[in-house]
Amino acid sequence: MAAGSLVFYAIADFNFIWLLIAATIFNYVLANSIFERKKEYLIISICFDIMLLLICKIFGQAYIKGFLPIGISFYTFKMISYQIDIYKGIISEKPDFIRTITYFIMFPQITSGPIMRYNVFCENTLLDNNEDKKGWKDNFSYYFDQIEDGLRYFIMGLSMKVLIADHLAMGWKEIGTIGYSSVSTPLSWFGAVIYSLNLYFDFWGYSLMAAGIGVMIGFPFVINFDHPYSSKSVAEFYRRWHITLGSWFKDYVYIPLGGSRQGKGKTIRNLFMVWVITGFWHGVTFNFILWGGILFLLICIEKFILGKLNVAGKIIGRLNVLVLIPITWVIFAISNASDLISYLGRMFPFFGIGESINYLDISKFVGNYGCYVIAGLLLLIPTFYDYINKNRKNTIFSIVFLGLFWICVYSMSNAVGNPFMYLRF
Amino acid sequence: MGQKKGHPLIILVVIGTVLSTIISICGKNGIYAGYNYDFKSAPVLSLMFRGFSEGKMPWEILTMGINEGQNDAVENSISGNGISGNSVSGNSVSDNSILDIEQGLDESTIADSSSEADSSDLISTYSLESVDADYFNDALFIGDSRTVGLSEYCEELDQRATFYAKVSLTIYKVLDTPLVETEEGDDITIDEALQQNQFGKIYIMIGLNEIGTGNTEYFAEAYQKVINRIRELQPEAIIYIQGIMHVTADKSNSDEYVNNDNINERNEAISQIADNINIFYLDMNSSVDDENGDLIKDLSFDDIHLKAPAYERWYNYLKENGIKK
Repeated sequence: MAAGSLVFYAIADFNFIWLLIAATIFNYVLANSIFERKKEYLIISICFDIMLLLICKIFGQAYIKGFLPIGISFYTFKMISYQIDIYKGIISEKPDFIRTITYFIMFPQITSGPIMRYNVFCENTLLDNNEDKKGWKDNFSYYFDQIEDGLRYFIMGLSMKVLIADHLAMGWKEIGTIGYSSVSTPLSWFGAVIYSLNLYFDFWGYSLMAAGIGVMIGFPFVINFDHPYSSKSVAEFYRRWHITLGSWFKDYVYIPLGGSRQGKGKTIRNLFMVWVITGFWHGVTFNFILWGGILFLLICIEKFILGKLNVAGKIIGRLNVLVLIPITWVIFAISNASDLISYLGRMFPFFGIGESINYLDISKFVGNYGCYVIAGLLLLIPTFYDYINKNRKNTIFSIVFLGLFWICVYSMSNAVGNPFMYLRF
Repeated sequence: MGQKKGHPLIILVVIGTVLSTIISICGKNGIYAGYNYDFKSAPVLSLMFRGFSEGKMPWEILTMGINEGQNDAVENSISGNGISGNSVSGNSVSDNSILDIEQGLDESTIADSSSEADSSDLISTYSLESVDADYFNDALFIGDSRTVGLSEYCEELDQRATFYAKVSLTIYKVLDTPLVETEEGDDITIDEALQQNQFGKIYIMIGLNEIGTGNTEYFAEAYQKVINRIRELQPEAIIYIQGIMHVTADKSNSDEYVNNDNINERNEAISQIADNINIFYLDMNSSVDDENGDLIKDLSFDDIHLKAPAYERWYNYLKENGIKK
């Protein structure tokens, strides 16, 4: 598997494979000393990983375009968690080299997560439980059960990505084509919904695909999204959104800084650190920092003001999730300051920003993208998804999955063969 | 809804993959011969699915001979020749036919009869002059998404003129695609609509969607046929062939097909269709280009379409360059 993953990475990004290998070996060598509780080695390894990430990020975005090794944000985070878990004894057995390298570079996760922990990685049923099974035939059937189940998740994820997210992405792009300063106010809000859903299903779909492949090769199912839009507050939203990243920040930044147990001032400081770093991790441009900063403010307001109001606090919390979160995604999406001002100026048309607006544009967009938005909104309802998930092994759902799979293949084939499919003039 | 034993999903996915791969390989040089296929970007089975989208069913492999497939290939194949950098700048194209016109429209006069074809009195002395908004009251605009944009973001024009435009329209299908909504709510083709309604001016801009299809000659031939048909249906109308609008330098330098060399080559070819009597060639690119002849970066978000406020430039160009008879 390590070899396979290396080939996978080499195909995707041959230029930087040496960096991945070097970082892996370096971390592994240090891990041996960290296992013996040598703190200075832990500090060296963490500094190394952070520097590696920082240098690549800053170079990649500020100086040389394209100087951003694929998956760097994810594998350095895995490396940091690996070292800290070894030091703390969460990883109890001394890791061997092959496992370590496989963990760092496993192909379903290398590009965009999820950031699986090493101890979860070691719960691979195919690698470990072989002894419990009797005979070849049982194993064989067991493997195929795993593959079949992984395939279901994979197809669910693929469908979200190809059939929902990719179409919504076209809608968001079309809004850009009009020009942010020329969309009508209803369209600007619809656009915020389009982009929010696009991002969610792109990422959730991707995570389900990665988790599905993980299940196929014997790993536990990694939950990376747990219906964030049904949250009652922004803080809860981010406990359910990209869970493996959020919990990474909680375990390796927020809690080591003291969490929320050392008084108001320190809590605010710790939250601030977490969100500025989160913003920075997503990108070095100002809009990501602004995005992180706004979330920090929202979470502070929730924690110290809304938390004291009972019913009203809950209602406002839900409104925050459903109204303010999409606005924060707009900030996340538009990296150019003047474009961002234009777009927000159209969402809140009190400042006279806007030119050449066609006030009927919304009806065209609802016509073209309404069905994808509705499909997306349906999947936001936890019971709807849970029902599918619970019954995923039924014959009828198997037929649906099979159909979806081939529809996705059809859609992708045409997208590849015809570069204009997603961009027609 | 019992839980089925066994592994039907894997089995059917595997069978489907094998089958579609076999079908695609069999049809690769037959019914799918025209598709530019690159094994690095997609597995071979994608061919079958691309066939579906064009209504080619897998079983046609059995009935369709290789030769037929190759005819198709001509239609689909990408022009490999002549994409080189021969520019189509302002120099005149002086062959011999009466159809030739000067390219120097930037000076907003169409060449009067100073070219060698003087022998014919038919050559007009019409010159482009500025017209007012009401000039477009009896005008029709035919085109792809760019013309759709013109209708959506140029209110003054939209209120006066008629638009038969649709996203992803090509010269090959322009007359036969049902896109004109009648009062009864049916969609009819442009061909049918032109039989029912008469226009004073017909503006057409089309050609970017098909820039990767066929070669310039093939494109110009199809264009000529469309113009002939419009001429037949609308004998009184002034027909304006509009040169295809450029793309930005970013796009032009990075895209194998959608680039300004190709666009210029095709514009050059369709400009030959104009007769300067009642078919004229207009090139609005001067109103949106930078000094290198690329679409100005700031006017476009996606490097291809104008942003909403920039449609005004196109409209102003048309107002500055009308023919009055």
